[in-house]
Amino acid sequence: MPPLISVRDLGFHYPDGTPALTSVSFSIEGSERVALLGSTGSGKSTLLQHLNGLLTPNKGRVEVDGTQVNGETVLQVRRKIGLVFQDPNDQLFLPTLLEDVAFGPLNAGATPDDASARARTILEELGLHGVEHRAAHHLSGGERRLAALATVLVARPALLALDEPTGDLDAVSRARLVRLLRARSETLLVATHDLRVAAALCDRGLVLHHGALVADGSLSDLLGDSTLLERHGLAAPLEG
Amino acid sequence: MAHIPDGFLSAQVMAGTAAVSAASLAVAVHRSRRYLAEREAPVLGAATAFVFAAQMLNFPLGAGTSAHLLGGVLVGTILGPWAAMLVLFAVVLVQALLFQDGGIGTLGANTLNIAILGVGGGMLLYRWLVALFGVGLRRRVLAAAMAGFGSTVLVGLAVAIELALSGTVPLAPALVAVGGGHALMGIGEGVITGAILGMVLRARPELVTGMRDPSGRGRALAYAVTGFALILAGAAGYVASSQPDALESAAERLGIVEVETAYLTAPFADYTSPLGGALFAAVVGVVVVFGVAWAIGRAVAWRGLRT
Amino acid sequence: MERTADVSFHHLDQFASVPSPVTRATPTARVLATTTLAVGTAALPLGAWQHLGVLAGLVAFLAAAAHLPVSLVVRRLAGPFVFVLAASTGLLFLVPGEPLVRIGPFGVSDTGLQRFGFVLGRASVALTAAVVLVSTTSFPELLQALRQLRLPAVVTTALGLGYRLLYLLVDEIERLQRAARSRNAQGGATSRRRLLVGISAAGLSRAFARGERTHRAMLARGFTGDLPSLAPKPWDARTIVSLCLLVMAVAAVAVSAYVSI
Repeated sequence: MPPLISVRDLGFHYPDGTPALTSVSFSIEGSERVALLGSTGSGKSTLLQHLNGLLTPNKGRVEVDGTQVNGETVLQVRRKIGLVFQDPNDQLFLPTLLEDVAFGPLNAGATPDDASARARTILEELGLHGVEHRAAHHLSGGERRLAALATVLVARPALLALDEPTGDLDAVSRARLVRLLRARSETLLVATHDLRVAAALCDRGLVLHHGALVADGSLSDLLGDSTLLERHGLAAPLEG
Repeated sequence: MAHIPDGFLSAQVMAGTAAVSAASLAVAVHRSRRYLAEREAPVLGAATAFVFAAQMLNFPLGAGTSAHLLGGVLVGTILGPWAAMLVLFAVVLVQALLFQDGGIGTLGANTLNIAILGVGGGMLLYRWLVALFGVGLRRRVLAAAMAGFGSTVLVGLAVAIELALSGTVPLAPALVAVGGGHALMGIGEGVITGAILGMVLRARPELVTGMRDPSGRGRALAYAVTGFALILAGAAGYVASSQPDALESAAERLGIVEVETAYLTAPFADYTSPLGGALFAAVVGVVVVFGVAWAIGRAVAWRGLRT
Repeated sequence: MERTADVSFHHLDQFASVPSPVTRATPTARVLATTTLAVGTAALPLGAWQHLGVLAGLVAFLAAAAHLPVSLVVRRLAGPFVFVLAASTGLLFLVPGEPLVRIGPFGVSDTGLQRFGFVLGRASVALTAAVVLVSTTSFPELLQALRQLRLPAVVTTALGLGYRLLYLLVDEIERLQRAARSRNAQGGATSRRRLLVGISAAGLSRAFARGERTHRAMLARGFTGDLPSLAPKPWDARTIVSLCLLVMAVAAVAVSAYVSI
């Protein structure tokens, strides 16, 4: 059986020539929980956007469940990859949360009734009660994160890819989100520079530095290697 | 009074303007989709939000006056005229339904004035001026500023004509009051449009729809149209001032009877001779010029597509 | 603190949520009823005072059925009414007729006075109808209605996405303005104008950048170019009958006004 995600020799540079990823290779099996570690600008978001075909590689390829991601397969692939963006405001773009959450299922051909029933269920599951007719700007930051998560979970993706999921959250909301994610059964890929969040959620780690994959292994080993972490901007050496 | 409230227009004018607006919007929907393809939805959403936000900012113009942006020409330079028409329509629609800025019955007229004539006329003017001036940054900014002014004046003229056709106000005082007011507003619109476009062209030039440098023939044509329009406006002005009867009978045939029967209290007591005549000539001039420029522009574009 | 917006856009969200026969009806019916009343009123021929009175009664009835407090309606009317009053004041002086009063160089004619009164009356009744709509209908409901009324999908989509973007954009504009203010204290009109131009230009490029990111988030969830929508509130028999009665009544009033004048 092919791995859920297989990235081979992936290379990408932006239209202006700035290199973003250089021959990145790794694979992820179903039900793994992987942290994608790297400092700001290391290429984490760029890598995530290759998994569902939002960006097209200049070199190498990406396969999801054995299917190569390209123009023909992209819609099929996007149903399997649930990508939660860094800024929940980018993901909550419709006038009410119910419409936001039902957006994915409707695009996939669900009937309006089915889509809104599923949307209500997932909002309840995430503990967002009575918000379905409200707009995202009336929610707190933590609720907005959860709502963005709901818009993705409702489509029952095989892989849940999160881009800096705890970015601007306070301690309480962060703990709530971590608890929620630990209880999910989806395969998890968490791009973050927050090592505590990574440790709480994942057991394998990938380290990205200047667009190259510099480490891939057990997360506890990686977190124990302070030289590696310091060299790639994930931990600052103690002062003094 | 860019937005006409309910109560100021007659049923016939409301129906007529609504029909013209609906037809024009249908064309705009078709053209915009072809131009923007599947990125249409987010781009138009962003532009709509921007126009709303920009209309909330009050720009001080000095002497205690301030103005806000209407935005038709600015959005037009970025998205092209068709998409800009849809954006301005979306704005006018919500202003009528939720903000009571402009009536619901007069929605057709306000759409025609602001979204169709304001954007379409403004953008024709912009393209014509770019063809005259060239595509350098300063030249495009100048063209956009002048088009912003022209577009606002055009909105004012359309409002005045609609009020007159409705029998609410006679044409001449409507032209002076509404047209004059819009000419003042147009100065603000032109300045703000040019300034913002200049900044966007410097900071994010890729946002603005590219313009090709006009070919020698294109420029010659633009000059020819300009000359023709000037001669025409001059001739119309001369005819109008030398033969006021002709003007009045023309107005009568257009259904604007009150022009000749008008008894006017001061300060418009002596509007009929030179002022009214010259203004009417200017309106005719502008309309004819736009018509001719439009026809020629279409012909050139059509030939360009075929070769 | 001084706000950026002189016109509050927050009343996009300030509808009253008092349950009433009006709010129970589908938003589409509410939009149609308001449009009928506003158009019917605006279309009355000059001088049809009795007919205007009948339509004013209908609007008042609708406001009462929606359980709208008089104070709310009056407060909402105030702003637009001042504008309409200013616009119609022009008619006093611009419409020719027998002069009645002279105020300095300006003269008020009898026709001008009549036209001023009637235009103002028409405008106020139509405005009140619109106020009933905004006071009972949220923006998302309005959008649903516009979709059901078959407005071009691209326009309803632009409005749907623009609604959220507007809130984000106004936040950003306010941040930019605060930052600019903390850098340079009070300046004259010129520097304030320059500042506003800078903020508008920055707002413009941020709006498009945000639109671009939103577009990606849409694509990631299977967007192919057409915005799908959920099922709107259904029509019930009572709504249909009431709307038909209203349309017929307004049409009858408008037609009789033309016949009798």
